[in-house]
Amino acid sequence: MSPYFILVPILVPILAGILLMTFPIQDYKTRAAAVETVVILNTILVFVLLLNRPAERLYLFSFVEGLPLTLNIDGMATFFGGLVAFLWPLATLYTFEYMRHEERVNTFLSFYTITYGVTLGVAFAGNIVTMYLFYEALTMVTLPLVIHTMTEEAQKATRKYLNYMIGGTAFAFIGIVFYSLFCTDIEFVLGGNLDVANLGEYANIALLVYVLAFFGFGVKAAVFPFHGWLPTASVAPTPVTALLHAVAVVKSGVFAIMRLTYFCFGADFLKGTWAQTVVVIAAMVTIVYGSTMGVRENHFKRRLAYSTIANLSYILLGVTMMSPLGLMAGLCHMFVHAIMKISGFFCAGAVMHQTDKNYVYELDGLGYAMPATFTALLISGLSLTGIPLFAGFVSKWSIVQALLEQPSMMGYVGVFVLLYSALMTGIYMLSLNVRGWFSGGTVAREANAKFHDPSWLMLLPLAIFSVITVALGLNAQALLVFVQSIATGTF
Amino acid sequence: MIALLIPVLMPIAVGVLLMAFPPRQRKIMLAVVFAALAIGLALAIGVALQPEDALRLTLGTVAEGLTFYLQVDAVGKLFSVLVAFVWLLVGLAAFEYMSHEHDEPRFFGFYLIVEGVLAALCYSGNLFTFYVFFELMTLTSVPLVMHELTHEAVMAGLKYLFYSVGGAFLSLFGLFLFTAQGAELTFTAGGVLDSTSASGVARLAVFLMILGFGTKAGMFPMHGWLPTAHPVAPAPASAVLSGVITKAGVLGILRTVYYVAGPELIRDTWVQYAWIGLTLITVFMGSMLAYRENVLKKRLAYSTVSQVSYVLFGLSLLQPVAFVGALLHVVFHSLVKNGLFLSAGAIICKTGKTKVDELKGIGKEMPVVLWCFTLAGVTLVGIPPTSAFVSKWYLATGSLASGIPVASWLGPVVLLVSALLTAGYLLTVSIDAFLPGSDYNYAALEKHEPTWQMLVPIVTLTALAVLLGVWPGGLTSLLTGIAGSVL
Repeated sequence: MSPYFILVPILVPILAGILLMTFPIQDYKTRAAAVETVVILNTILVFVLLLNRPAERLYLFSFVEGLPLTLNIDGMATFFGGLVAFLWPLATLYTFEYMRHEERVNTFLSFYTITYGVTLGVAFAGNIVTMYLFYEALTMVTLPLVIHTMTEEAQKATRKYLNYMIGGTAFAFIGIVFYSLFCTDIEFVLGGNLDVANLGEYANIALLVYVLAFFGFGVKAAVFPFHGWLPTASVAPTPVTALLHAVAVVKSGVFAIMRLTYFCFGADFLKGTWAQTVVVIAAMVTIVYGSTMGVRENHFKRRLAYSTIANLSYILLGVTMMSPLGLMAGLCHMFVHAIMKISGFFCAGAVMHQTDKNYVYELDGLGYAMPATFTALLISGLSLTGIPLFAGFVSKWSIVQALLEQPSMMGYVGVFVLLYSALMTGIYMLSLNVRGWFSGGTVAREANAKFHDPSWLMLLPLAIFSVITVALGLNAQALLVFVQSIATGTF
Repeated sequence: MIALLIPVLMPIAVGVLLMAFPPRQRKIMLAVVFAALAIGLALAIGVALQPEDALRLTLGTVAEGLTFYLQVDAVGKLFSVLVAFVWLLVGLAAFEYMSHEHDEPRFFGFYLIVEGVLAALCYSGNLFTFYVFFELMTLTSVPLVMHELTHEAVMAGLKYLFYSVGGAFLSLFGLFLFTAQGAELTFTAGGVLDSTSASGVARLAVFLMILGFGTKAGMFPMHGWLPTAHPVAPAPASAVLSGVITKAGVLGILRTVYYVAGPELIRDTWVQYAWIGLTLITVFMGSMLAYRENVLKKRLAYSTVSQVSYVLFGLSLLQPVAFVGALLHVVFHSLVKNGLFLSAGAIICKTGKTKVDELKGIGKEMPVVLWCFTLAGVTLVGIPPTSAFVSKWYLATGSLASGIPVASWLGPVVLLVSALLTAGYLLTVSIDAFLPGSDYNYAALEKHEPTWQMLVPIVTLTALAVLLGVWPGGLTSLLTGIAGSVL
């Protein structure tokens, strides 16, 4: 397939979104059909592209000599692009029902669809400059989504979001500049293209720059102490929190760190250095922090946001092991967590949409009124906790395999951090279902009798995600073989 | 052999169907439950009679190193038959007890589901499979603890859940570590791991697994959930929680030490000494707290804490005679404790009395129940010729023969003190029950004996508990055989 085709799935949603803004569709049914058609069409285009990968990268143009914009479909791009393309139609379907009674849905759906194209841009970027461009575009194009409700709270949250992102950008930029000066070739290659032999006295600077860039990109990946924007962004409508802040934006963050670590600087260069120690500790601290705060948090979506913070650092814990097994584990959890968390957020959204309840303590006895939602929430919760027979166990397992590949204190501490986090996760996720099914007595059950599960538009995505979670929990060989091939470069 | 799945799936399927389509008539529901339990016992015995090499089943692989594998050996047969037998008897008693409760389909539904999960647990052939069903057992037994749906019950259930999950994760460390080191964790008598090249981390992992599975068995310091959760559940649930599910924790430790790590890995190391210490602390502490406790079911719960650590003490000595004593005590304590809890349940069911100081003269009102309670108490104290005397004798002689400094003589001393305390917390109840003194209102005496549904199980359990000491019927030789294979 011609490399020019890589541009198509990126541009189609962007153009569609701009068109939708310029020529708004007033009837919500027509608009929904149009948007969903475009999104599904684009997903099909993505899969056609991924199954017929172009043999070479697409060179677009250069800003300056040595800073080209390229697009390339390698293993990582296939993985992330495929994940995003799979989830977007389901999330958009969910959005229609959720936003039914909201205002300015037209604008919302426009930016939501544009975001699809931009995220694919991040996935398909062939070098760090291109990825950076789309990364920044992702921040900008999601701002209107976060601020959508226009309340004071939303405005403050958006300002915080923007400030954090811009700050992160600056540090990431330092990484890009340094890398562009000291690489043999700026394109993404597994193993990195850093000119290690000629670094000389700059070796320590290189490590410092890596750490700065890690934290810079790590803002989107909610690494402590730059995680603060994520719980606050829960004020956005649930389709935004679910897709963007559990999948697109935050996964772009970890994706960027993976690219930075394995495809720019190179894992072998970083392994065993002080830089590795710093980033491993950052990941561990984030895990402990996120999991513990999740127990304390009573707002349903913010609780899930803290869970996301912790889980992103599970991915990073694997990635920072600087080994193929580590990258493999990170990719595995990236996929599994996306499915689990989007399902969890959709359940929270279903509850909020049907009952207007935002807080965990309001869930008493609601399970009987909304059994499908709470069953999906149970599956998501068991998977997040890492109970075997669910996908979450498999991805945690692979992270542990990476941690224990070679006996080391860091590895063992990492395992204990994961186990602690798993216990905290069990507490904050399983208590939701205990409340739903066992608390409140007949009083709560009677008060909740007027509520019911949402329509098929919201339930279908939940059902699909629950089935995948269980299926992967029973047999994850296919996924593991796939990510192993990406991590070892045999894809 | 695929038929191994039937004892697992049949109770689960019946339990799920019972909850999804509750029968309109109570009689039908009880008949279905009884049939399922009876068939479950028949299946367990049927499996136990098969030769060992026929009883293997690989169910599929989740990922490399994580295979579902069932394999029934002598230990599995012993535990599975015990579970099924007790489950049938307690289930029968539950028919009468639960007639005063509500939401019976949910109770019996989860009751059956837990039986299926326990069968799978007994039949597990490797550590991963065991861990999976161990977690499932916790999750499916939480609704039994929470059954009353009072605030107290829900909080107790949560405490149970979080302690159990925390304990399971401690064990998970071992599963993680050993698999990462490339070990094939199929249960093999005598262990799979190489004890000579074992690292400090491996020993730590085994210790954490002991602590982790020991949580379910109520071993100090992870015992805190047991006195809260067991009393708050309906009496039949308390019975199986104390009498059977704690033994799942014992099974976990047994499998870890004797079938995965191998006793040589921890013999004469800090792991063994710490383990012995923790069990002795638990034995003493549990008896002491039981002695001081006034709520009857809580007293029995503390008793469980103490008694299950008798078993763990026997296992920790890594000595064949003590090993036999430990497994004998698994069986005997299970019979006794189930009987005691059912008696307590009968008392609550018929008179509403939950506290020990309310039980003056109750022996006159419920003579059969209290006679059984007394005999069970006598057994638990360890008075010959009852069964628990035999198990304690083996434990004590094994301890003295073990050659471990301090513990070899301290163990029997602690067991003796605990026996005295046991008499104090069980036999005093009987004395007050039968000899209430002159200020008891004999004129207002009414018989409150429960019906055959509760009496048959209570009498059966008590009779077995007493008589198995005189006629162990091949049990001892079976267990000596197992001990020989692992030590």
